[in-house]
Amino acid sequence: MNVEITELTRRFGRNQAVAGVNLQAGTGVYGLLGPNGAGKTTLLRMMATVIPPTSGRVRLLGRDPRAYGPRREVRRRLGYLPQNLGYYPGFTVVEFVEYFALLKEMPAARVPAAVATAVERVDLGGRAKAKLRTLSGGMLRRVGIAQAIVNEPELLLLDEPTAGLDPEQRVAFRALLRDLGQRATVVVSTHLVEDVGAACSEVALMDQGKIVFQGTPAELTARGTEQGTGDAPLERGYTAVLAAARS
Amino acid sequence: MSDNDPSLRECPADVDLGRVWTSVAAQVWRRQPGWLERAAGRLLRSPGLARALLTTPSLLLPWLIASIVVLAAGAGATLDSGQPVVALLAPAVAAAAIAYSYGPGIDPAWELSCSMAVSDRMVLLVRALAVFAVNALLGLAASAVSAGLTGPGRPGAAAASGAAAAVTFGWLIPMTAVCAFALAVATLARSANVGAAAGVAGWLITVLSGRVASGHFGAAVTDTVLFLPYLAIGVTCAAVAVFATRIPRGRYR
Repeated sequence: MNVEITELTRRFGRNQAVAGVNLQAGTGVYGLLGPNGAGKTTLLRMMATVIPPTSGRVRLLGRDPRAYGPRREVRRRLGYLPQNLGYYPGFTVVEFVEYFALLKEMPAARVPAAVATAVERVDLGGRAKAKLRTLSGGMLRRVGIAQAIVNEPELLLLDEPTAGLDPEQRVAFRALLRDLGQRATVVVSTHLVEDVGAACSEVALMDQGKIVFQGTPAELTARGTEQGTGDAPLERGYTAVLAAARS
Repeated sequence: MSDNDPSLRECPADVDLGRVWTSVAAQVWRRQPGWLERAAGRLLRSPGLARALLTTPSLLLPWLIASIVVLAAGAGATLDSGQPVVALLAPAVAAAAIAYSYGPGIDPAWELSCSMAVSDRMVLLVRALAVFAVNALLGLAASAVSAGLTGPGRPGAAAASGAAAAVTFGWLIPMTAVCAFALAVATLARSANVGAAAGVAGWLITVLSGRVASGHFGAAVTDTVLFLPYLAIGVTCAAVAVFATRIPRGRYR
């Protein structure tokens, strides 16, 4: 298992953002669904070793990230796309991706080929030398995805990766996710249930800091056959599980 | 690409054109690091830190804020106040400005930086060195230019030359040396905290040894009037250390 989370909690003052989450994840694409404020981003930030848990246990790629050495090893093998990733406007696409490849301590000789591969995979080859200030929001999001995958991570954490992408780009991105999920653990936090249905092998639904459902997209869909509201079967499953959790 | 393309018909079936293109793209897009970046990479044992060092001035808004505060603190530190407090407080102010500018305050990619293998504190140390070193070079240039303009009937140029030289030689160059020392220690010890502690100790020794040379050391350490400012310095340094390395809503220690 690349991700082993046991009774994980995180408090911000009086607010309990994550309240006793248990999660195991091996290779594959895992969708993290939930309403605003459910705790998805906080959970992802803890998995990205950006913030520590208040209590509970996290093991990533077989290591305990509390100690500096193992945390550094995890970070070398980690790809992370934050929800609100800012960009250096004076950098080009290649410079930005290269900068973070170097900060991930990739061997310098491997960096140019890795950067080219990542930039091509997000279909930004035609804008590789463009300054980030000249790119659209969707293109910037793809730059963020490129920096996340540049080191061919064993653990890839993506927070709202399809925000700002047009439908064509989202379809291409789902294909990329499925491909990455064959070799790595990919955790995708999203509001868009159709992304989960199309790309994820498993899904966890969070509400009020807790995981209230864990299973396959088909199992989530099945929960919505009798109740739940929404235009798509998966949406009905989503709303039905949330309603049951809150009742 | 179409299979009917005549130029591709002779391409062997086992050639992966995608990989070929990526290899070509890697060569075309490849950025050749300059001699300074290569040397910094070797000295710091990290191409990532070398890149951070060289890109520091190109992050314009953080650079401007950090430079303005550093120069203001330097102007205060080089005033002949007769007290060592100002000289001790100035680096804390400068460090706070650099930490804010290149930290969670303004750096748009700070959260991402916090998930990187290269320590964000090491990156901040490198940024501090870059801010002081480039401003020291600019200060040297300003001193030289204003010295060249001095002459009879130009008292303003002489005053400007004196002020630029005082800030450059009394503040920017010594602080560049302190930052370089801190970074060297941090690289050797593989710990940004150890490096920062060495830098603080180095500056304290520099300032207090100046008091020894002028025969005021005893007053500098026993004068009860100075205890409160010293306490303020200590609290400021601690606040800087915490702020420099925090991320909103907590982070790993």
